[in-house]
Amino acid sequence: MKLKRVLLPASLLALVGTGATFGGFTGLRAHERLRSGLPKLALVSCTHCHQRSLKTLPWAKPRRHHDAPDGMAVSPDGKTLFIALNDRDEVVEADVASLSVKRRAKVPGGPFGLALDTAGKRLFVACRNQDTVSVIDTAGLKVVASISVGIRPTDIAYCQTPSGERLVVPNSGSNDISVLSVLPLLELTRSAAGREPYAVSVSTDGRRAHIANRMAVHDQVLSQPASEVTVLDPSTGHIVNRVELPSAHMAEGVTEVPARGWVLSSMIRVRNLVPITQVKDGWVMSTGIAITREDGEATQIPLDEANAYFSDPSGIVASPDGKRAYVASGGADVVTVLDLDRLGAWLARSGEPERSDAIENMALSYRYVSARIPTGRNPQHLALSPDGSRLFVSERLDDRVLVVDTSSLKPVGRIVLGNGGLDDPVRLGERVFTNSRYTFQGQFSCRSCHPDGHVDGLSYDFDGAGVGDNLLANRSLCGVAGTEPFKWNGKNPTLQYQDGPRFARVLMRTDQIPEPQLDQLATFITHLPPTRTLPWSRVGQPLTPSEERGRKLFFATQRTDGTPIPVGRQCQTCHRPPLFTDRLLTSVGTRGAQDTTDVFDTPHLIGVGAMAPYLHDGRAKTLEEIWTTYQRDDLHGVSSYWSKQQLNDLVEYLKTI
Amino acid sequence: MLDARYPPGSRVVLLAPPYGADTVRELSRGLVAAGDPCVSWDGRSVYFSGKSSTDADWQIYRVSAGGGRPEVVTRVPGGAMNPAVAAHGELVFSSPVPKAGTLWTTQEPAALYGQMPGEAPSRLTFGSDSAVDATVLRDGRILYVTSEARDTKHAVRHLEFFTVNNDGTEVTAYACEDGGADRIRRPRELGDGRVAFLAAPAEEPGPAGWAESVKSAAPFATRGKLFAFRSIGCRSVEPMGQGEVLACIDSNVGAGRMMIGTAKVFRVAPDATETGAPLFGDPKWDNIEAAPVAARAEPNGHTSALNLKGSYGTLLCLNVNFSSKPAAAGNLAPAAQLRIFTWEGPGKERTLGEVPVESDGSVIVQLPADTPLGLDTLDAAGHVLRHQPAALWLRPGENRACIGCHEPRNHAPQNVRPLATMHRPAHLDLNSATTGPQAPKP
Repeated sequence: MKLKRVLLPASLLALVGTGATFGGFTGLRAHERLRSGLPKLALVSCTHCHQRSLKTLPWAKPRRHHDAPDGMAVSPDGKTLFIALNDRDEVVEADVASLSVKRRAKVPGGPFGLALDTAGKRLFVACRNQDTVSVIDTAGLKVVASISVGIRPTDIAYCQTPSGERLVVPNSGSNDISVLSVLPLLELTRSAAGREPYAVSVSTDGRRAHIANRMAVHDQVLSQPASEVTVLDPSTGHIVNRVELPSAHMAEGVTEVPARGWVLSSMIRVRNLVPITQVKDGWVMSTGIAITREDGEATQIPLDEANAYFSDPSGIVASPDGKRAYVASGGADVVTVLDLDRLGAWLARSGEPERSDAIENMALSYRYVSARIPTGRNPQHLALSPDGSRLFVSERLDDRVLVVDTSSLKPVGRIVLGNGGLDDPVRLGERVFTNSRYTFQGQFSCRSCHPDGHVDGLSYDFDGAGVGDNLLANRSLCGVAGTEPFKWNGKNPTLQYQDGPRFARVLMRTDQIPEPQLDQLATFITHLPPTRTLPWSRVGQPLTPSEERGRKLFFATQRTDGTPIPVGRQCQTCHRPPLFTDRLLTSVGTRGAQDTTDVFDTPHLIGVGAMAPYLHDGRAKTLEEIWTTYQRDDLHGVSSYWSKQQLNDLVEYLKTI
Repeated sequence: MLDARYPPGSRVVLLAPPYGADTVRELSRGLVAAGDPCVSWDGRSVYFSGKSSTDADWQIYRVSAGGGRPEVVTRVPGGAMNPAVAAHGELVFSSPVPKAGTLWTTQEPAALYGQMPGEAPSRLTFGSDSAVDATVLRDGRILYVTSEARDTKHAVRHLEFFTVNNDGTEVTAYACEDGGADRIRRPRELGDGRVAFLAAPAEEPGPAGWAESVKSAAPFATRGKLFAFRSIGCRSVEPMGQGEVLACIDSNVGAGRMMIGTAKVFRVAPDATETGAPLFGDPKWDNIEAAPVAARAEPNGHTSALNLKGSYGTLLCLNVNFSSKPAAAGNLAPAAQLRIFTWEGPGKERTLGEVPVESDGSVIVQLPADTPLGLDTLDAAGHVLRHQPAALWLRPGENRACIGCHEPRNHAPQNVRPLATMHRPAHLDLNSATTGPQAPKP
């Protein structure tokens, strides 16, 4: 009897428990099936829908700031160097003779590019983080005026024209160029540029400004991309020419060589249309200089050598006598010295076929490279004293400025701005991210394809089981924290795996990044915030009516006529906020002729407005094309009922995410 | 060949500062002959070729630079020679050891092998000619000497430097193409942007020669003398750091003659106009080769993507018509077919098949791995336009591409999508001389 008393309740309890568990499990699976719209739930867990708050992600938390030097300007007498500290919201005044910091001024908005007026009395500052140009009185080192420009201004140039003083500002985030008058400080024009206008140089007579556009764009995913040197009349702000540079990419520096009538821009020569079977001989990319003549003819020449590469060319300056140019290679920690006499002689004796083939000839540069100057970590910006005797190199990740005597090409010392932040794991990760020593012959760094952690706007045909069947669009690393798994096939569970063994095999072609550095790299990437796509003045503001209509469309559960939209084809199901991804593989009808699968990882949409091109192989140039040219059978969300206006509204909303 | 270079009694010895004869310590104790030394990257071990008895094969030995008895590290049939050390302690060597005077004529060409510590050796090269004198570049590639014209009728073939990854992939010409019929040997990367090597007249093979170099920035265009002074009789050059070179030179030797004098070891400063006083030059010692025993930066490794269970690799040529060599008989017609053949011995080529060339000149074909492969481009009438001897190979699972056939060296590809990638690769097999179908991809 006693046994019965124990066994009976126990059996009942077990039965109820089992039933509850089974029923609960069944109910749970039914819930998951309903909410995900997926018939197979093998990979689905609660966290795919019930995501963590964005506030808990690494990039949303406070981080340390550093004294990284960005743009620089030298006073007319060559005695003072002004240095922009974007991460500190400061501008530094340094004494060149003593290599010491004299004063620091607070400049809100992330100062990045600097320019001085002719007398050296006013310093103009392009503030990248808050879309402004500020004017600093150099006597008091105080901001005396400020004006809004386009999104993310990255450089600024001052000149005098027959119409008065002008400032030319490339706005890298809004793909346009602002021309400002100085007195009064007004925006006169804002002209469309290429993609990501990044650096500007004006002629000494103020007749022309040349703007290097960082990104190459293409008409179709398998057509050759090209970047642009935009030529502008600073007096009127009118565009006078657009020089196309085929397969030139990541142009971050531009300078005039008045004595020769040349404009030099640093660039990466990208070869994304060729399957990545190897990296040797610049198979994926190499670095170079584009020489644009006054008549608009451009020649691209290599900066690299046959067996050594100098990745991520950025700042470039030319000596006043036109005999030398200096180029900073941020991934290789080198400044290359070009002998422009020798380069000019080679150009003069070379026919058109040789000139057009020059950029592919990896054994050419020894003819005109006269020196390679080692630098500290991640040199990006350069400045030259007016007499050309001193070269200033921003060693960004060392928080220092290297000063080089150009007669001996030897360092004379460094202006120390900070301690390098070697105790900050995020900074250590950035040192890995920007370092090309982890790839075969130093051919490229992570940054070469992910400028500022973002996309380069290209698709690459990665090595796989076959050749030519793995075309994949580059994806932004900004805001990827919490969106694992990674890669378009969703096979990489962690950033460490993605960037470790996989990259070593597929891209780096050398030993994988050592584990401590790999952890630092992952830390840096998870601290990259999403890219800002709205003007700073719009951040935190309510949606416009059009954006609000688009938001409702995004979260719609039924069509305009009331017909329900299947859960699996509602935007919000796969692109579920706050991450705007369910982190699952999904088929949206985009399998291409060469793809080996129907399903692809659902990308997050935070900052999607700046992530073009779209879809797994980058076939859609714009967000619109996803639902026009490349939508099939309403598989990528039900869009067949949308009017043109509704599509526009949706796109406007997506650009706010 | 090592028997002639290192006769019985040859020894590997260690000289300590001040490099007098009384500081000599033998490292190859117990062996009847030894030579060919190579120092590990950490400077702690010395590898060399040695022979335990007059009848034994040459094998690779390792000895601690601090002392002790040498231990044999290879036991390969036919012997091993020319040790070099790659990343992670991998030993690279050539095997078998050809008999004297047969290096470039033997029926059994020497191949390169890699051997990780404690593991069996794995073959790295599969060309039709010997692969010898390996050294490891800082970028991790193995630089070696070979000839790509095994099937020519000339008795003296032209030697070139090639590189290969440490998994046998990406075999590539490195330097000295079309540079005359010199013997070249013993390349060493100096660390100042140059690769030094020894050259000697082809008609009289022997250890005597002179030192030359190429700049790694443009190795096919910068061949020249290494030293500003006369270096005939140079038997070895090794990097010393700071641009200095450790050279072993017998100044009594004339060009093309066998060494008859006593060589001396010199420490040569950059841009030196004369050898200066020898570091070591005792007449009791017939110095052959000298290498500094010091730690240096370890070269990079290479993460292999091979599938060693497979039997095929894939070759993509972007444009078979892109070449630095003129077509036969001045034929300007574009190639219509690519014929692929393998080499089965001197004068024995076997055609694997022909594959069509796309209108942009591109071709993609899956081919048997670890087999010497040669290529002929053919016009529409089947006439040979260009001939590429069987000096190439693919490893299992290797995806390999080239921009042309005998294309200009050190050239990057143009950024154009090759038409051949729009199709599945043709497939050719060793057991079939038929051309595989070229089906469109689904």
